[in-house]
Amino acid sequence: MLSIEKAQDGKVVIAGRLDAAEAASAQTFLDRIDGTVTLDCAGLDYISSAGLGVLLKTQKRLLAANGKLRLAGLRPHLLDIFTYSGFDQLFEIERAS
Amino acid sequence: MISAVQHRPLSASDLQAILDVTKALAEPFDLTTMLNEVVAAAKQVLQAERGSVWLYDEPNGELVLEVATGIKPVRVPWQSGLVGACARSRRIINVPDCYADARFDPRVDKASGYRTRCMLTLPLVDHKNVLVGVMQVLNKIGGAFDADDEALAAALAAQCAVALQRVRMTGALIEGEKMRQALEMAREVQMSTLPGTMPVVPGYDVGATFLPADLTGGDTYDVAMLDQGLLVVLGDATGHGIAPALSVTQMQAMLRMAFRLGADLETAYLQLNNRLADTLAADRFITAFIGLLDPRTHALRFHSGGQGPILRYRAVSADFERFKPTSFPLGAMQIPALRGAISVTMQPGDILVLVSDGIYEQENADGEPFGEARVTSIVAAHRDESATALLARIVGAVRGFSAGTPQADDMTIVLLKRDAPELAQTFERRIDAIGAMVTFTGDAFGRLAIDARLRTRVDLAVEELFTNMVKYGRGSAPVTLGLRAVEGGVEVTLIDRDVEPFDIRRAPDVDIGKPIEEREPGGLGLHLVKRLADRVDYAYALQTRESRTTLRFTVAGLDEGRRGSQGRGSHAVD
Repeated sequence: MLSIEKAQDGKVVIAGRLDAAEAASAQTFLDRIDGTVTLDCAGLDYISSAGLGVLLKTQKRLLAANGKLRLAGLRPHLLDIFTYSGFDQLFEIERAS
Repeated sequence: MISAVQHRPLSASDLQAILDVTKALAEPFDLTTMLNEVVAAAKQVLQAERGSVWLYDEPNGELVLEVATGIKPVRVPWQSGLVGACARSRRIINVPDCYADARFDPRVDKASGYRTRCMLTLPLVDHKNVLVGVMQVLNKIGGAFDADDEALAAALAAQCAVALQRVRMTGALIEGEKMRQALEMAREVQMSTLPGTMPVVPGYDVGATFLPADLTGGDTYDVAMLDQGLLVVLGDATGHGIAPALSVTQMQAMLRMAFRLGADLETAYLQLNNRLADTLAADRFITAFIGLLDPRTHALRFHSGGQGPILRYRAVSADFERFKPTSFPLGAMQIPALRGAISVTMQPGDILVLVSDGIYEQENADGEPFGEARVTSIVAAHRDESATALLARIVGAVRGFSAGTPQADDMTIVLLKRDAPELAQTFERRIDAIGAMVTFTGDAFGRLAIDARLRTRVDLAVEELFTNMVKYGRGSAPVTLGLRAVEGGVEVTLIDRDVEPFDIRRAPDVDIGKPIEEREPGGLGLHLVKRLADRVDYAYALQTRESRTTLRFTVAGLDEGRRGSQGRGSHAVD
């Protein structure tokens, strides 16, 4: 299951599993955000290439409008996936403390 | 009278005499010759009629006089008489008139008919200050021994002591070397009967190891595929020295012969026991596990002569079943009627654990034995690992436990491990089956005790391959997902039916260095699978049009960093 919502501080909080089955709903949500947005990934358990595709599409759109998506709190077991896909070079990633 | 050693400088002729003696003493390497040389030298240098040497037998606290070959040596307590006094004081005793001295024992004279007038008794002390013995020189020709003789005798005694000690130590070394060589030969024979390689048994993982102790031990094992099934043997002969090594070698040969001649388990066991009872020394026996496994029915039948505990790890209940021996040790006596063999069915994941007492009884520095509990806890904790890995763990644990304590006995382990089950489930070819696949994978991880750190990679691989199948496969046949625990990780198999071959290893790699504008999500999933899996294998069956992708993930692979994009693996089309 996936939950994605905007917090009071303006961050977008994503939690659960961002897989092929959930990619469409995540895309729908992220298509509505603008500017520079921090995506709080501390609760994100899983991401597949379908999820990466959602993030990539969002990042391209925001960058074109001088905004960007910043990833925060990404857990170590997901960092591998960002590294092996080269996505660590496409996003500003704030490591989990 | 007791005189201090060394009175005056030796004259040139004295020195010459001693040098001649030294030369003579350098030659012999057997004790009898050396004793004769020493006595001859003393007689010559001191101009005496007779001489004798008492050797100090320290362990028995005695002085021993080798009278002549074939006659029992004379032994006296090392404190008694003149020789005893000399040995204790380590000083020359010069008795000019023996029959006037209370310490003189005239019994030797009486027995030999010789009359001792005067006598010098010299301590033989080597250069390391070790008392080697006492020399007595009798009846100075033409008079009594004087102070000059005492000085000369002291110098001579030192030479004799060193020469004698050299011969004694050489003798001990030669004896030790002979024993060592005999032992080595017996050990070589013993080792030569061990199987060179483990047989390949479908559905099973078999491992065995044998660590010989330095000096003694009589362990053996055998694992061989015979007409009767898979033979599994672990034996341990009693006793020390070369006998146990030879006993187990004999047992191995008899057993192999019996089975080759078509004997069943009972006949082989009975015959083996009764023949060993005939031939082994009365105080010897061999504890042994002898079992036959039918790898198709998984029935394991065994007898155990005093070999125990026999352990079976039961995967289904995650505990150990413990079997006692079925009879007394082999060769102890004839068996009139043999009880039935123990019969067990090896279930998936079960492990037969045979361990010789050299492991159970190996002590640490505090004298605590390694024990059975340590063995079972290692096997239980690492049950999913290969037999070879388990063997290494047990050996490593024993070595660590006994660090610094010498290995007291042979150590032997035989492990027979039935392959762990593959958990498999079939899923409909629809994207929303992913949820059910994730649930199944989570359940399988728990049941197969797979390291949870591998979960993300497995989930990702399953999802990527599955979504790929759904997107590009034209058929409607369901997809099967299987998981199997392997050493340090998990093997994941996805089977897609009624499809064209698709080998993900040949899928193009994604250039992850491209700028974001040029990046596309396509192909990324398979790229990640190849990167994250330790190994990718692919096979396609033409007849059934079945595409099978097998991925391996291990904890070791987690730490391995970036892998080559081609991965490792083999390709097969059958």
